[in-house]
Amino acid sequence: MNPRSVLRIARWETTRSAGDVDRRTAVAFVVVLLVIAALVPALVTYGPTPGEGIYRVGVDDDDDYRGVVAAEATLAAVDRAPSGVRTGDADLLVGDGGFVWADSAKGRASLAALRSATVAFNDRRMAREDNQSAAFPVVVTLTYADQSVSVTGQQTGDDAGADAGDQAGDTGDQTGDGTSDGTDGGTDDGTAGTEQPDSERDDDGSEAVSDLPSAPEGGLGGLLGDQQTGTPSSLSPPFPLRSLILAFAFLLPLNVVIQAYGSSVLAERINRRGEPLLVAPVSPADIVAGKTLPYLAGALALIAGIAVLVGAGPLAVAAVAPLAALFLAATFLGAMLARSYKELTFVTVTISVTLTAYAFVPAVFAEVHPIASISPLTVVVDSITGEGTTAGAFVLSTVPPALAATVMFGLGTGVYREEDMFTQRPIPAKLLDALAAPLDSRLRVGLWTALFMPFVFVTELFAVAVLFVAPVELSVPLLLGTVALVEEIAKSLHVYAGFERGRFPRTLRTSLVLGALSGAGFFLGEKLLLLTQLVGLPGIEVAQFAFSPSVVGLPPGVLLVAPLVLHVVTAGISAVGAARGRLEYVLAVLLAVLVHVAYNVAVVVGVA
Amino acid sequence: MRRLVLAKRTLGSLRSEKTIVLALAIQLFIAAFSSFLVVGLVSLYDPGTTGDAFEVEVGVAGNATDDLAPVVQRGDARSAVVYESRSAAMEAFRDGRVDAVLHATRQSSGRVVVSAVAPEGSFRTTFVVSQVKDALSEYERHRRADLADSLARQPLDLPPERDANPYFSFTYTVLLPLLAFLPAFISGSVMSDTLAEEAERGTLELLRVAPLSLPEIVDGKALALVGLAPAQVALWLALLAYNGSAVSNPLAVLALVTGAAAVFVAGGAALALGIGARREAQLLYSFAALAAFGLASLLPQSPQNLVARFAVGSPNVVTWLSLAGVLVAAATGYAALRWLAGQTTG
Repeated sequence: MNPRSVLRIARWETTRSAGDVDRRTAVAFVVVLLVIAALVPALVTYGPTPGEGIYRVGVDDDDDYRGVVAAEATLAAVDRAPSGVRTGDADLLVGDGGFVWADSAKGRASLAALRSATVAFNDRRMAREDNQSAAFPVVVTLTYADQSVSVTGQQTGDDAGADAGDQAGDTGDQTGDGTSDGTDGGTDDGTAGTEQPDSERDDDGSEAVSDLPSAPEGGLGGLLGDQQTGTPSSLSPPFPLRSLILAFAFLLPLNVVIQAYGSSVLAERINRRGEPLLVAPVSPADIVAGKTLPYLAGALALIAGIAVLVGAGPLAVAAVAPLAALFLAATFLGAMLARSYKELTFVTVTISVTLTAYAFVPAVFAEVHPIASISPLTVVVDSITGEGTTAGAFVLSTVPPALAATVMFGLGTGVYREEDMFTQRPIPAKLLDALAAPLDSRLRVGLWTALFMPFVFVTELFAVAVLFVAPVELSVPLLLGTVALVEEIAKSLHVYAGFERGRFPRTLRTSLVLGALSGAGFFLGEKLLLLTQLVGLPGIEVAQFAFSPSVVGLPPGVLLVAPLVLHVVTAGISAVGAARGRLEYVLAVLLAVLVHVAYNVAVVVGVA
Repeated sequence: MRRLVLAKRTLGSLRSEKTIVLALAIQLFIAAFSSFLVVGLVSLYDPGTTGDAFEVEVGVAGNATDDLAPVVQRGDARSAVVYESRSAAMEAFRDGRVDAVLHATRQSSGRVVVSAVAPEGSFRTTFVVSQVKDALSEYERHRRADLADSLARQPLDLPPERDANPYFSFTYTVLLPLLAFLPAFISGSVMSDTLAEEAERGTLELLRVAPLSLPEIVDGKALALVGLAPAQVALWLALLAYNGSAVSNPLAVLALVTGAAAVFVAGGAALALGIGARREAQLLYSFAALAAFGLASLLPQSPQNLVARFAVGSPNVVTWLSLAGVLVAAATGYAALRWLAGQTTG
């Protein structure tokens, strides 16, 4: 790659884009952007409720509950005709000291909405009382404490410093720091179960609420905020709202960038516009890098700007950057394969939805669970809260997308050539072209299997993130199946492409050799999975089945050889099918998946 | 007639490129994704909804235990374990025998001060905290009733609690509007794509050599794309109904979607004809659609709210008037587009 020609193409791409926009379009852009800028504050203040007035409550104007209904947007007051519920003109009737609701899902939902609205109404009414201790007779201070369920007798015992709390509570507003170091128990040797509850007494009243064990070092502890004090209804359970907003703040602008980028790449393929560049004395890699650079820079600038706005540090930018690269890489490959703008629109939407889900689903658990470290957005959340990110979590959230982006750019650059750019063929056929293009020798088959590892990894991580909430009986079989399917496809798809595009002779011997190479490549690439160890993902039951089913309980020799044998055998099966045709290939992959699942089940059962 | 031929051809190209399959797959994915999200989030609060019975054991201690423990015990998903001292309760908490600790102290003023401890950094945290919140709110109501003499105003009685589907509101106010407007938006986007591509490839000229005027070409393509949106939504409505979420005014919802699709398609076509390059037209289309949706949200009933009201069966006069407004806007917008196309041909 020649940096000078890359920069020149990048400059050309930038100036050409700016030059292409005529004045009318530019003005239209400015107007639309101004409208949007003006809309945001209006929407924030006005705050339209999507569910406004969906529950109709029959209530008299002088009824006490009239105020409740008026204050809640989802409730609409209607006439209190006694037959209202029967005729369907109301979902709920209030008055005469009773409630009548329709016996339907909607009726019950109305009742629940009215109930929570009444709670809020009561709180507002009580707030106006003179006697506040009667109006709000319960005041609660909520603190979070680590709970180690592993009963090994190794717990940081801290049972002292406790009963004094019975008295200290009378001060009404406890300000315990909740972060005592867990060793100030003193009187206790830390062995659980040997304690007589009333035997110890700490005279120091200031220790009243300090019997909370310390937060785990460097883990997710303490992220939930130290404590909340207030009335019961003011308690808010931890909710991942912040990650939701962040996901959209960071990912929506990326969608704009990829839309422009995809158009630009596909425009080169229309009316052979890209031909002059192709015949210029620059390599396809230079062209691709040059065309991508302005968009990548733009995406990074956007991300940096948003990071400043939301108060995240440079680490957050570094974490989202690989994701931005993956957005661009997927769009590039999509634009190389798509036949028309129409098709590109769908490809772009697919890409943004899939990648948003990938970044988003694990981040939902950002303040709750280690699974969140899969997503780069978690690094952003940590950066904002000031909680450090461990090196392992950073690597896990950035390296797989970065590798996947590199491989996708590699595949796309492989078909950045005349015969593929200017022909109209279905996406699957082009995809096979792209997969077959780099297969110059048999050894390359193994190499590309290893290169597919990031995708396998990303898919499996995502599957774990989606499935780990489900009960183990359901999630483990599903996950074993998914893992086997993804891995078998990764090992065989390019082998199939190689046969279909005539890269290799369709002989039994070749297919066995290719299968063995592919399996071996996969075995080596699989070492990437060791990354999960860095953040302790295998500690989660489901993840363990996905990433290290054979880590425990087998002799070391078997441990090393068994997976290699498995991958070579299954890759061999699918390669033999691939050499024969499409239907045979599909059947062979299914067979390989079955073998793979059987192996995994054997290991799981054998270990358990 | 010729327009119908062109409409058929547009549909044919969508079919041969399998884009329509992709479009449906995307919508399915988005629907599944948002549902997964909501189910996941709700199950954080209320694991019972996913079918797992789960009970929060609450350790109760302190001098108000006699009052508090029965209230805690009354909830379906929680039970109270009384401890003599705070330290005993905390030890049980650390051993995992209880999920939360409430240490309640009655003060001389009658107020009860509760110090609550919930597990940190675990899935159950959200659920445990919401159960604690429930129990303490219930307790607050009891205390208020006991202290009623000291209050000038009395709190209202709460409506009874019945098993309400926690996803009910989500289905009608988020999922359904999403499924209704996404096809309309995509139709407009595809309209802009096809016209921009014809313009860029120069095939628009070829079409005009055929006995078709530009307005007729636009008609043909628009007919196909506007028609596609309600067809997809009808499919979703059927699927939802099959799943037990009945939709009350399906025809009104479909009419609304058709109107919205016509507005989006007219906008997309106008931008493509005016700009002639896909990248700019498409970007401007996305932003303009966003702005239009934002502006419409400031109306008395937002588009999302219209779908929700129709589907859940609570439309009022304003809702019907808004629907009429959307249809008028669609007709006007489309007429403007035809006029624009006529101007372009000259």
